Amino acid sequence: MNAINLKINNEHYDVSVKPHWSLAYVIREKVGLTGTKTGCEMGTCGSCTLLLDGKPVFSCLRMAIDAQGCDIRTIEGVEEDNNGELHPLQEAFIQDHGMQCGFCTPGMIIAAKHLLEHNPDPTEREVREAIGGHLCRCGTYIRIVRSILNAAETMRNAQAGQ
Amino acid sequence: MEYYSPTDLNEAYSLLDKYGEDAIPIAGSTFYMGHREELFDEVEAVINIKQLGLSYIRQDDHGLRIGATTTLNEIFAHELTSKGTFGILAETVKELNINEVRNMATIGGEVCIAGEVDMPTTLLAYDANIVIGGSKGVREMSMADFHIGYLNNALEPGEMVLEVHIPQPPANTGAGFAKFERTAADLPIVNVATRISLDNAGACAEARVVAGAATLSGVPERSAAAEAALLNKVIDDTLIETAAVASGDIECIHDFRMSAEIRSLWVKCGIEDALQRAVAAVQ
Ligand SMILES: Cc1cc2nc3c(=O)[nH]c(=O)nc-3n(C[C@H](O)[C@H](O)[C@H](O)COP(=O)(O)OP(=O)(O)OC[C@H]3O[C@@H](n4cnc5c(N)ncnc54)[C@H](O)[C@@H]3O)c2cc1C
Ligand code: FES
Ligand code: FES
Repeated sequence: MNAINLKINNEHYDVSVKPHWSLAYVIREKVGLTGTKTGCEMGTCGSCTLLLDGKPVFSCLRMAIDAQGCDIRTIEGVEEDNNGELHPLQEAFIQDHGMQCGFCTPGMIIAAKHLLEHNPDPTEREVREAIGGHLCRCGTYIRIVRSILNAAETMRNAQAGQ
Repeated sequence: MEYYSPTDLNEAYSLLDKYGEDAIPIAGSTFYMGHREELFDEVEAVINIKQLGLSYIRQDDHGLRIGATTTLNEIFAHELTSKGTFGILAETVKELNINEVRNMATIGGEVCIAGEVDMPTTLLAYDANIVIGGSKGVREMSMADFHIGYLNNALEPGEMVLEVHIPQPPANTGAGFAKFERTAADLPIVNVATRISLDNAGACAEARVVAGAATLSGVPERSAAAEAALLNKVIDDTLIETAAVASGDIECIHDFRMSAEIRSLWVKCGIEDALQRAVAAVQ
């Protein structure tokens, strides 16, 4: 076992890990933050997506031991990033029913948040590309894409109103 | 299982020497972690090679040099690889439509996998060389020789990939990449890369026609017949069709993902498409 420290949503956590343990596993089972989901654990579903030093990655494909010293942001940190309020993306997913069971939602929101931070006015195609690696078992894609586009509009309007 | 994250090459080499075949160097970890169930029992040491200063893209008199731990998204965004002479590299990355994987997977990891990956196909079309390092020194090997069979490369125990070196292609060169997969998250079922260089009269002076992921041999292959069909001729739609048909000399694999017949058909379609793009891209 290796003792490591992980910085997740600005909190520090001491955990003991084996080298092949994934970041997704450690965050869920050792740290106890279960917002990050694990569907396939082999990089094919996107439900474990989080931000590592600002970039979306699949946490099931990252060794936890290789995430030391990185800035990790999970779905639990999204409100914190938005002054403790639901993020416009979260509001839009609720408003537009961008989910059925909700299992894929944390990953979708993290990927979409990264997209909108870099491209505030994406085309539908760009939205679809940003979630290209994400599966929704419930097949809610149309509503997911609509939620992201609507959130983008809300965020642009808020920006313009400032 | 021990974990190491060396910060200089000599330290990395001595770890690779110490553990030999029981060590696995890890870069983006997208392949390793996807196969951890099979792999971790066999491995005594995991050596993270991301702190070795091998993330860079630079150009010199001999062409382009990409450090082994450069990620696919870094290649996608970099001015040397996203447009111009080497823009085909970003076009290849674009066809892997999973942003999260592109943020992690590295060019070194891609070339080490002889199988269902895209970059080796494009690199073969550009006569790329793989720069290999170990405690005994540095050697360079062509992409063509580096893959020796499905999931099998020419690295000796104690060695690792340091860099991919792509020679400067001649003037008037264009390239194209095409790929078939089932979904965005699937591995390629067929991928194809072409490169053509024209002489001053506009005839084809150099041609590379490569198919990967689909071959019976398990490694990307050039189609000698398709390349011969193009050489010394002015390329038009009819010639492109002739070359695509000639690519039947690449023997395709029949497996659970696709029959050999359909793969062969897709190789032909891909080559036609990639040659059209190459002609349009000549600069
Ligand atoms: C869902 C999914 C879909 C994908 N689709 C595609 C696709 O369509 N096209 C495509 O091209 N790729 C695709 N990939 C990526 C590809 O399959 C590999 O996962 C990736 O290329 C591996 O890169 P890595 O840096 O993560 O390698 P790692 O997992 O770190 O390593 C892979 C192997 O190479 C060895 N290795 C790595 N770097 C070195 C080095 N410098 N020297 C010596 N040995 C080294 C490791 O020991 C290991 O055996 C996909 C991946 C996933 C998860
Ligand atoms: S659990 Fe990580 S991609 Fe599916
Ligand atoms: S809402 Fe159920 S998996 Fe997407």
